[in-house]
Amino acid sequence: MKLPVEGWPEAAGQGRVGVVRRVVLLALRDLRLEVRDRAGLLSILAFFAVMLFIMALALGPEEAPLRRAAPGVLWVALAFGSTLLSTRAFALEVEEGTLDDLLLAPGGKEWIYFGKLLFQMLLLLPLAVLALLMAAGLFYLPLERLFPLFLTLVLGVLGYASVATFYAGLLARLRGREVLLPLLLFSLVVPVVLASVRATTGLAEGLPVAEISDWWQLLLVFDMVYLTASALLFPVVMEG
Amino acid sequence: MLLRLQGISKRFGRDWVVRDLSFTLERGEVVALLGPNGSGKTTLLRLMAGLLKPTRGQVERAGRALFLPNPPAFHRHLTAREHLLYDLAFHHQGKEPEEALDRFGLPGDLPLYAFSSGMKKRLALARLTLLFPDIWLLDEPETALDKGGRELLLSTLAEARKKAGVVLATHDRTLAERVADRTLELGVA
Amino acid sequence: MLKVAQPDRPDALTWVFLGLGLLLLPVGLYLALSAPPDVNQGYLVRIMYLHVPGAWLGYLAFFVTFLYSLLYLFRQDPRYDRVASSSAEIGLVFMGLALVTGMLWARPTWGVYWTWEPRLTTTAILFAVYVGYFLLRGAIEDPELRRKAAAAVGILGFINVPISYMSVKWWRSLHQTQSIDLTTGKIHMDPAMLQALLFNLLVFTLLYLGFVRFRSLLAALEARKEEA
Repeated sequence: MKLPVEGWPEAAGQGRVGVVRRVVLLALRDLRLEVRDRAGLLSILAFFAVMLFIMALALGPEEAPLRRAAPGVLWVALAFGSTLLSTRAFALEVEEGTLDDLLLAPGGKEWIYFGKLLFQMLLLLPLAVLALLMAAGLFYLPLERLFPLFLTLVLGVLGYASVATFYAGLLARLRGREVLLPLLLFSLVVPVVLASVRATTGLAEGLPVAEISDWWQLLLVFDMVYLTASALLFPVVMEG
Repeated sequence: MLLRLQGISKRFGRDWVVRDLSFTLERGEVVALLGPNGSGKTTLLRLMAGLLKPTRGQVERAGRALFLPNPPAFHRHLTAREHLLYDLAFHHQGKEPEEALDRFGLPGDLPLYAFSSGMKKRLALARLTLLFPDIWLLDEPETALDKGGRELLLSTLAEARKKAGVVLATHDRTLAERVADRTLELGVA
Repeated sequence: MLKVAQPDRPDALTWVFLGLGLLLLPVGLYLALSAPPDVNQGYLVRIMYLHVPGAWLGYLAFFVTFLYSLLYLFRQDPRYDRVASSSAEIGLVFMGLALVTGMLWARPTWGVYWTWEPRLTTTAILFAVYVGYFLLRGAIEDPELRRKAAAAVGILGFINVPISYMSVKWWRSLHQTQSIDLTTGKIHMDPAMLQALLFNLLVFTLLYLGFVRFRSLLAALEARKEEA
């Protein structure tokens, strides 16, 4: 009934290794389910590609406006992608009625959050890389500084996923979750959108890394704050 | 004492599904939960498992509880063996599923979308014997089982009784009379 | 329910807050309208006497929601949730007032109704978060899950304030410099204007306290009716 601060999974008599193993296994299992199901993943992928394509058509065909819009388009598309993926992370459990089995596993419930989050990241990161390539192709976003761009992707996507996974779990059993999730999520991830877009723009315009690191720090702070808060709140909203 | 409910009530919206119920389960006991449809058997089992919280009253558990829903819930794109392996890992248990698969007559490599409802029921029982909780909460475990399956259910229950406590909701009075030490009758609230 | 019998009607303190607030509201209005016009903004400055207290109470109200959401999660007593949701409801009203008055002020001053300024944007974000808070409450039937989920949103939404603020501030900046600088304690304002502003802040705060107590009581009565 209390906030499970003391109920960190070690309390279940299992070491940290056991907890990490459980988290990784859950993520891999979900990945396996998605790959075998195919239809769900493919439709998200197709939606994502079509969205970027339409936006390029709407903003084009001149190169300058496209290039200017590229970072914004990239991160808005990823925001939609993350709501779709996070809904899927719990939709399968709810459809099949298997969420109860996870909740009845011994120890705290934080591991479910981290497992689902890892699953999200494993799908969202490739999606982000794909989006980056499409942004480079359709929006003429320069890709010379690949490593800093990738770092921005990881930090930004983690920001989206940390909140999206929490809210998706919270909303999993509710009607109307498809509308509520973006509403709740988008207002919270404004800092992620701003910081990621700015960092991406800066990298595209060739600003020195020192000027971009402020945005990375902001993203890092956001990620840490929301990972911690979500992990603490997740068990509370999942019981009962 | 393995499980104790003290004056619990549960309300959904404006309707009381369970009203002021007290109950204790001891180790080595099998209790049958009887009552017509809508009398709150499933709700009560879920309350016992901790999947629902009572509107009033208290639930105490002195051990791990597992709940077997009816129909049982599985991921359809996994094979029976994979499902059991994942379940064992999530429950921090390092057992092998082979013996249980054999015993319950289940094809380990068949994906679950190809399973009949009786086979799923068998798999659910196999899962429980592997995870072996202290408190077994079974919702109509006898449905969809054939004669052989019923034998397996009876032997599983006999095994569970030795070390754990069982509550099973059922409409099958013969089964209840045969396996249960006592019964709990629920009326429509 | 637990130890205290719930009252059927507002207690004395609620009436005091509400009564004083309502009585003093016209006085505050008089002070606001009789305060001298601003050197730069002229009579337009009078909108400040509504705008600043509205914004201040919006933030105060959401902070109270945040605190009571935390309390609810730790204590699991529905009373805390009732205060949290009442405060959020009243906060939405005050914050809506602040946003509207702000826009009315911005149009003649900045030439636009809306600008992507940090405080403005943060306020709009917070407003959206609490609209979501109430939509979520409406979507959940189970009272306990509703309370917990709302508490989670109340907490996550409020810890976002400093992060949003920083992000928008770096992103772009343009706002009337604050009249009272909280960090240095410097005040750049005519004493008569300051008096009027502080008086209105007090009146609004009294009204807020009265409203929250009153609304929480209504919520308690609703809950009791639902339980009966």
